[in-house]
Amino acid sequence: MKIAYYPGCVAQESGRELDMATRWVAKALGIELVEFPTFSCCGSGFVDEANLTLNVAINARNLGIAERAGLDVLTICSTCQGMLSLANHRLEDPAMRARVDPALAKIGMPYKGTVKVKHLLEVLTRDIGLGAVKARVRRPLTGLKVGAFYGCHLLRPSQESSMESPEEPRSFEDLLDAIGAEPVMYRGRVMCCGFPILFVKGETANRIAARQIADAKDHGAHAMATPCPLCHISLDGYQNKAEAAVGREFDMPIFHLPQLVALALGATPEEIGLPRHLVPAGPALAHIRPDPTAAPRA
Amino acid sequence: MGAKLLEAPIDVYRFEPGRDAAPRYERYTLTVEPHTPVLTALLKIRAEMDPSLTLRYSCRSSICGSCAMQINSKSRLACQTPIGPEIERHGRLVVEPMRNQPVLRDLVVDQAPFWRQYDRIEPHLKLDPRHPMPEGKPNPMSPEEVARFYETPRCIACAACFSACPAVEADPDFPGPMALAKLYRFVVDPRDQAHQDRLVRIQTGGLWLCLRCHLCTEACPKDVRPSERIRDLKELAIAAQGGTEPGSRHAIGFKENIRERGLLQEMKLVRQTEGLAGLVGQAGQGLRMRRKKPEITKKPRAIEGLDQLQTLYRELDHPAEGEP
Repeated sequence: MKIAYYPGCVAQESGRELDMATRWVAKALGIELVEFPTFSCCGSGFVDEANLTLNVAINARNLGIAERAGLDVLTICSTCQGMLSLANHRLEDPAMRARVDPALAKIGMPYKGTVKVKHLLEVLTRDIGLGAVKARVRRPLTGLKVGAFYGCHLLRPSQESSMESPEEPRSFEDLLDAIGAEPVMYRGRVMCCGFPILFVKGETANRIAARQIADAKDHGAHAMATPCPLCHISLDGYQNKAEAAVGREFDMPIFHLPQLVALALGATPEEIGLPRHLVPAGPALAHIRPDPTAAPRA
Repeated sequence: MGAKLLEAPIDVYRFEPGRDAAPRYERYTLTVEPHTPVLTALLKIRAEMDPSLTLRYSCRSSICGSCAMQINSKSRLACQTPIGPEIERHGRLVVEPMRNQPVLRDLVVDQAPFWRQYDRIEPHLKLDPRHPMPEGKPNPMSPEEVARFYETPRCIACAACFSACPAVEADPDFPGPMALAKLYRFVVDPRDQAHQDRLVRIQTGGLWLCLRCHLCTEACPKDVRPSERIRDLKELAIAAQGGTEPGSRHAIGFKENIRERGLLQEMKLVRQTEGLAGLVGQAGQGLRMRRKKPEITKKPRAIEGLDQLQTLYRELDHPAEGEP
């Protein structure tokens, strides 16, 4: 399949390991990523708070770029996914159209509203399909207990276009099953990572992150995995602060979703940027049991 | 013609502070129809199996807002939640009291924290004494004016949003979704004369602690959509006052940050939000991250077509006029 690749800001900066892993998985599964150096930031929810109309226009421009190329958009960040699909939703309001369309006309970038925005999780579980992913697994992650952490904006606010139940999603756990890992169910998996207020009131944000990490750990998770690089910053980059906020050591490795898929498909830790994490991923990998039925690595 | 009957195992949270050392879960197994509401099952348990079960309810019709509780970890009205789909998904039904409010007994919580936060926003019209309501005209608003807060009056104050909110859980300064949705209603009510004052006070009163996780909007049984009203309040507060708090400075700083190159400049944003002192405060964390991610201090590339983006800003981002 061929799709417009919208990496988002963080995967091009502090979260480059997410971009590395996405490219690895795309190549392995035959997903052609079409790149557009014209794509801008989605506003990350913050521009939306300062000026909603401007933010819809910014994302209409992004979506218009893909529409011209006749492609749907692939995101690898829950927040990008949320903001781009929210723009689609808000453009259904004629009053919003009336404000945004003249500005888009001025830059020669009209947007009709035909582009679907899909997160990598949806592409892997729906378009490629769990069976096809499973068939490509070379090194199943047998024995690794993983707490999926969805990230708010992949699920909420739910719309008619939403892929699944916002409060009881299953797709991430199904994907973990397909790559041989053992999904851990815990309440925190659909909760907030605290990131949006990390720079507003850090201590509160750290406590919120700690709450979800503790929940995963108390349910037996060896590691957590997230489809959102902002969650990754909060859970991995600031895990030391989360530990300090509640006085408990977690040592909880946090994976980006495509990193775990890539590992199961045969990638090395270096190819997918695991050494870039602040919490070492090694202890989690040590839980993976060799699988006698797996095909030898090429 | 009854629906197919269902054998439903129901685990109910039981706790009497002061008497019980710790909460416990009591299992009751009932034969019910799939569409039977959780509340009906709880009343059956109380009537036929265990008269000591304590719960709060009244209308049984999703109007009074009394029977909010946690049903399989989701904040819900018990009278509005059928048992069948819950059992189908989870294989069982776990019923617990609401979160973020202390348990009085079993499923009944002390709602004082919820109402205290509601009081903080002064939930009543503040009319200008020089312009009293005209006599014989009970509603001097146009339909367009009413439409601005069409959703909020549907609120039944059940506190499901308060129970679902992770910011409420983590920080007592956060007023909670319902209080802020109600505040929005007074801020855009043309009869209220305290708009500006309300917006100024809420900037320091916890508005910016909202995580925009939208859990409140999913929990609300009346589709008030509190998280969207909180977003509206944030934009109004910025329009009224600009960036006076870390939260509003962050939103404005982010918007300005993107205008320059089209992509986020991560390190610059920290300075924009926290100022130079804040940057120093974050220095330890920054250095720690830089060891693993050396590129974080570098500027990202500028996007192609940056002029298009900047034209959108010129067309649609007008400076604040000081009035909501």
